[in-house]
Amino acid sequence: MSLKKIEQVKKDKGFKIFDLIIYGVIALTVAVLFIVIFATRNSDPLTGIKVYVNSELVFEYEFDVTASADDGIKSAIVQAEEESGIIKVTVTDGDEKNVFEIDKKQKTVKMVEANCKGKQCLYFPVMNDNSDFIYCSPHRVRIEPFITRDDGLIIM
Amino acid sequence: MKHFKRLFLALACFTLILCAGCKTETTYYFYTNVPSDGFEVADKNFVLGGIIEGYTPPEVEYPEEDVSNYTTMGYRFTAMLTDINLNVSYDFSKEGEKSRFSEFCRKIVDEMKRFDNAISTAVTYSDINKFNTAAAGDTIEITRTGYEILEIAKNLYSETEGYYNPALYYNIHAYGFGAAQSYPEKLSDLPKDEDVAKYTDLANHFADLTVYTEEGKYYVTKPEYTVNVGGETLSMKIDLGGIGKGYAVDRAEEIFDEYGYNYGYFNFGFSSMMFKSFVNGGAYTVAFKNPRTLANDYYFTTPVRNTKLSTSGDNNQYYIIDGTRYCHIIDPTTGKPVQTGIMSVSVVGGSAAEDDAYTTAIMAMGKEKAQEFIKDKLSDRKVVFACE
Repeated sequence: MSLKKIEQVKKDKGFKIFDLIIYGVIALTVAVLFIVIFATRNSDPLTGIKVYVNSELVFEYEFDVTASADDGIKSAIVQAEEESGIIKVTVTDGDEKNVFEIDKKQKTVKMVEANCKGKQCLYFPVMNDNSDFIYCSPHRVRIEPFITRDDGLIIM
Repeated sequence: MKHFKRLFLALACFTLILCAGCKTETTYYFYTNVPSDGFEVADKNFVLGGIIEGYTPPEVEYPEEDVSNYTTMGYRFTAMLTDINLNVSYDFSKEGEKSRFSEFCRKIVDEMKRFDNAISTAVTYSDINKFNTAAAGDTIEITRTGYEILEIAKNLYSETEGYYNPALYYNIHAYGFGAAQSYPEKLSDLPKDEDVAKYTDLANHFADLTVYTEEGKYYVTKPEYTVNVGGETLSMKIDLGGIGKGYAVDRAEEIFDEYGYNYGYFNFGFSSMMFKSFVNGGAYTVAFKNPRTLANDYYFTTPVRNTKLSTSGDNNQYYIIDGTRYCHIIDPTTGKPVQTGIMSVSVVGGSAAEDDAYTTAIMAMGKEKAQEFIKDKLSDRKVVFACE
């Protein structure tokens, strides 16, 4: 870089007012998105789960309410066994298999085994509040919090 | 560097202005019989085409309950290849109420499966499949459910002057709809006009179908009339999927009442719904989106309570060839997918089975006739339809 150019760059201001406005708008947008996403999050502790396969309820479990895991079974494709406070639930739909564990003490749920392509459901974070969910797209298995929302608005 | 930065900003601003200027706004219209103080419009692309006179709201009293301890429980399942959702708000903290809710859900599921077995074309031994595979002129024993739905279908065929016609089975399938969907990709894949005319001619004999009951049993007799298409003799086939879902919704309401659940809703896909009261405010708010966009600006928002709702539209099952939209609703006057300019119709009130037939019929009637029909026949229901 020639000396002339270096002097020219030094003369220029680092930021023009217009640049600052654009950076300000970007920062504000990020801040608003952050607040909206985290402030509207339902961070109540997980009260239980409902498990759907192809939109059909196959298993439900409510912490401190459901007497035994077997009571929550709604379909023959589900099997559940309990050992040391951990309920291991196996969903077998033909060749498709998903296994998840319910920790009764910690009140958490995590997917521990699946034979789906990509196994992305195994990387979903452990469910521990009412905003979490686990979804296995290839097997159409969805684990949702037990709560049901009804805000009175039906969108057609 | 300085000039480059300014040039970049100028170009960005110019592009934004250009995009804003180029964005074409399409105007759509909607017609309703709801007085202007009974709905709201949030989508600026929609303009009120006209208020249809004659709507008389039914006088209903809503029993008030202490809902302070009410919580909401939901259930979701599938029947007739459609997702079904129900929500109930009740005091589930009382002993035994949660298991009573489970029993209620089981009863609803059993009822819906029973309808599936009676009228689904996907169930081999359903009443409808028995009818469809029978020879012209044959009499078939059917279930009471099948009988009742066929009675409703016949009445609505007559009341809508044939605009609701469940016998347009061959037309629906010829255009690639029905259970085994296979959409045509080019004009040459569409059915021939002469074949469509024959299918329509056959469907227009729906009034010849007779249903009767004898010694506690239920029967349907298939019309004698047949047509010949491509060397094959075709007898009448029907599809009652539309009003069947509405009939199921009417039955679901009875089960809600049986269990004393006065707060919540039930929906059979989004074509048929039943509303009780909303636990936090009394009425639910139904918001209709523009059928041509994914935007969340609602063109019509109205309160609903203790009522039923049905919707038909050309935006759920459709394909476009050379700029023409072909949807699953058939115009019985042409035998082809409706192209009346009506994009979507919703009817609120009355029985869901009837509403399902009315919305289908109005889609085919076109703007002018639809307004007359709504004024003359549907004064006890809220109706809204959206047009291009």
